[in-house]
Amino acid sequence: MNLPILPTTVVGSYSMPGWLERLKTEFFARRISRHELDEIHDAATKAAIKDQEVAGLDIISDGELRRDNMVDYFAERLPGVQTDHGSKKFYYDFYDSVVRGKLPIASLRLVDDYRFLAALTDRATKFCVTGPHTLVKRIRDEHYKNEEALATDIARVMNFELKELVRAGVRHIQIDEPYYSGFPEDFPWGVRVLNTLVDGVDAKITLHVCYGNRYGKPSWAGNYRYLFPTILEARIHGVTLEFARRGGEDLQLFKEFPNKLELGVGVIDVKGHEVETPDLVAERIRKALQYVPAERLFVLPDCGCLHLPQDVAFNKLKSMVQGTRIVRKEVGG
Amino acid sequence: MILHVNNVQPDRTARASSVVSTLIALAGEGKLPPQVLDNLNVHLDWVQYKTNFREAVSVRRATKGDELLPWIEVGVDLRQVREETLKEEFVRALNGGASDPAGSPERVYFEPFKPLRSCMIWDFNRLFWQHLPLWEKAVGHGFEKALPTGQSDANHPAAVKDSVFDFWTLLKDMDNQKQLPAEIFVLEIGVGTGQRAALWLDCFRDLDRERGTQYYPRIRFLLADYSFPILDAAQKTLRDHRELASFLAVDALDPFKSLSFLRYKVLYIHLTNVYDNLPTDEIVIRDGQLYLVEARAYVSSAAAAPICEKFGVPPGEFSRTVNRLVDVSPQHLGLSTLEENVGFWRAVWDAIRLEERFVSLEGISDVPLPANIRPSQLETFMANAASNQRFQLSSGVLESFVNTIPLLHPRGHLQVQDIFVTELADYPKIFRGPGKMDGSVVNWVNGALLAEVGEQAGYDVHFAPFHYREGSRTSILYTTHRE
Repeated sequence: MNLPILPTTVVGSYSMPGWLERLKTEFFARRISRHELDEIHDAATKAAIKDQEVAGLDIISDGELRRDNMVDYFAERLPGVQTDHGSKKFYYDFYDSVVRGKLPIASLRLVDDYRFLAALTDRATKFCVTGPHTLVKRIRDEHYKNEEALATDIARVMNFELKELVRAGVRHIQIDEPYYSGFPEDFPWGVRVLNTLVDGVDAKITLHVCYGNRYGKPSWAGNYRYLFPTILEARIHGVTLEFARRGGEDLQLFKEFPNKLELGVGVIDVKGHEVETPDLVAERIRKALQYVPAERLFVLPDCGCLHLPQDVAFNKLKSMVQGTRIVRKEVGG
Repeated sequence: MILHVNNVQPDRTARASSVVSTLIALAGEGKLPPQVLDNLNVHLDWVQYKTNFREAVSVRRATKGDELLPWIEVGVDLRQVREETLKEEFVRALNGGASDPAGSPERVYFEPFKPLRSCMIWDFNRLFWQHLPLWEKAVGHGFEKALPTGQSDANHPAAVKDSVFDFWTLLKDMDNQKQLPAEIFVLEIGVGTGQRAALWLDCFRDLDRERGTQYYPRIRFLLADYSFPILDAAQKTLRDHRELASFLAVDALDPFKSLSFLRYKVLYIHLTNVYDNLPTDEIVIRDGQLYLVEARAYVSSAAAAPICEKFGVPPGEFSRTVNRLVDVSPQHLGLSTLEENVGFWRAVWDAIRLEERFVSLEGISDVPLPANIRPSQLETFMANAASNQRFQLSSGVLESFVNTIPLLHPRGHLQVQDIFVTELADYPKIFRGPGKMDGSVVNWVNGALLAEVGEQAGYDVHFAPFHYREGSRTSILYTTHRE
């Protein structure tokens, strides 16, 4: 599918409606059935897809509204990971998940999510998965006794799943690894694990690294210097980083460490409710263009829109698209 | 008639008994008509503060739209009642004009009914902090003398020392992980005399020197208050740390408005006795139905007369003069001298009371919540509420909290020393305000609701007793990041 120059997309999640939060929690309280919740998720996902289309995005996600959080959706699917379903009262809480033996390789059953998305839009699509490094930080390990070893086995299982997704038609895959920023010392082994994860996966792979968005607030502070030059060893096509909230200072790393990576530049602050103007978005894109050429740049929010109210998320995305169109004209797109 | 014995202190059982016998006597004498008796709910309360806004016996009526509901609530403050006048108080209260828009002829009203957070006592509260030197000069002592121990727990040396040690440990840990920012922001909201900040910085400087860590010069200590006299006094107290202390006029209800440039940058935010001084609404549940408490400020005619006489205010001008006081400040009230103006202010404050009524709400979505607080959060909090319950919404505290936490660095924490009700079920035990603390208002804080709001904002809210002073009612709230 042909994309315009400076394609626009989301990081993955779309605004989680308050009513859906309540219904998800009702499910944990056993007041609605799994079947009912699945139907609710389908309806909410359709709305999220439609909103992204109307906002004018070039690459659409399913909004990730089926996911309680970025960990549990994968933890409860990973074969060999035991999740205590009684361990959360609010849907957004994390399960107590534990690994007690070597992980077998089996499907995570994510393909259905992709097929649902693909059936509802003619736009290009992307599929996002939480990376092994982030997962090992939230899954108790009683077997491997070594984070890299557990992460590597998770990567092997998920590599199988990514290939399944590609077979089903996925062309853009995003690996979400926010915990790198909380544990920068892990990054060298994180890249080894990442390479295991994407080995032989025939899709455009981007890595999303932010400073956390749990409850709509950052989990860590710092800068992206720790990513370089190690990230250049990762077998990925691009990275998506947050710059709107933190400012564009770290963009100069792309000049300091010459590379061929595509950059998904975060131009929308997802931790504030004020809607950026198209002009401000354009200004942020222009700044990124000083470091990365237009043909390697794509445009998206800093992170998922999960915690933004629906109207704010929608208006921010619309503004992002309008701001991008301003710059496209300037670069002849 | 239903009698609700919410709280009886062991040494007040005789008074509680006399309330019951008085009520029975009144019924027997036919002074409680059957239609009143059938709808009467009497609540025996223990009001936390010796000086407060209630009469010994007060009547609260409920309204739904324009309709006056038949049930009548009578609140009895066991702390104030006198056995010898009890019968008379009941008769007067039940025959008074509570909830009548025109009110009782025995009272001089200063305003119409308003939600509690908007009524005039909060104007007086503002007046107190903004013109504190005038009040302190008139009473002959500093405002902290009005506290139960005559001084603020904020300045307790051991508590400050522990706070400093904990903070230094955090900085050291961040330093070890190469995450320590170049500038280390600390924020104190509600600075008092500045003594705590000075003590904290003295302690921090000493510890830093002892450990050789060089963190002290990187501290940016921000002292925030909405009272300029308070900030001026604090600036003098902090003269030894002037290089790193800044004094900012900040509204405690919305610190983010003034300090948005520090979003996610402040590593430690501290407040002492600020939350108990922020405006709040109150919610009443009666037989499962929700009501908002509305109030109007008044002074009884009996109390107004000597005030008018003493300060030369014509009785017909009394209400207007009180309104002018809160509008134009004591300096410009226009009595014969400034001392007279302040004297009038103090006398009115001493005599001021609140008449309450309950306004029926359709449901939780009608509860006036601060922006950024969702009705579902209140709903979760109220899930275990009893069918008869009254509690503070702590509106100002919630507003302040949600407008403060975006300033916190991902490794930062908020610490609040104050008086908290940490369980909804604790509310009926004692009525927790509002009370008068010298010239200001004081309320307990609904810590249980605050914890609910904190949880959904990504912070676990914990309460620890203030163990540094025996018998202290203060708790220490601190936040941790919720995983």
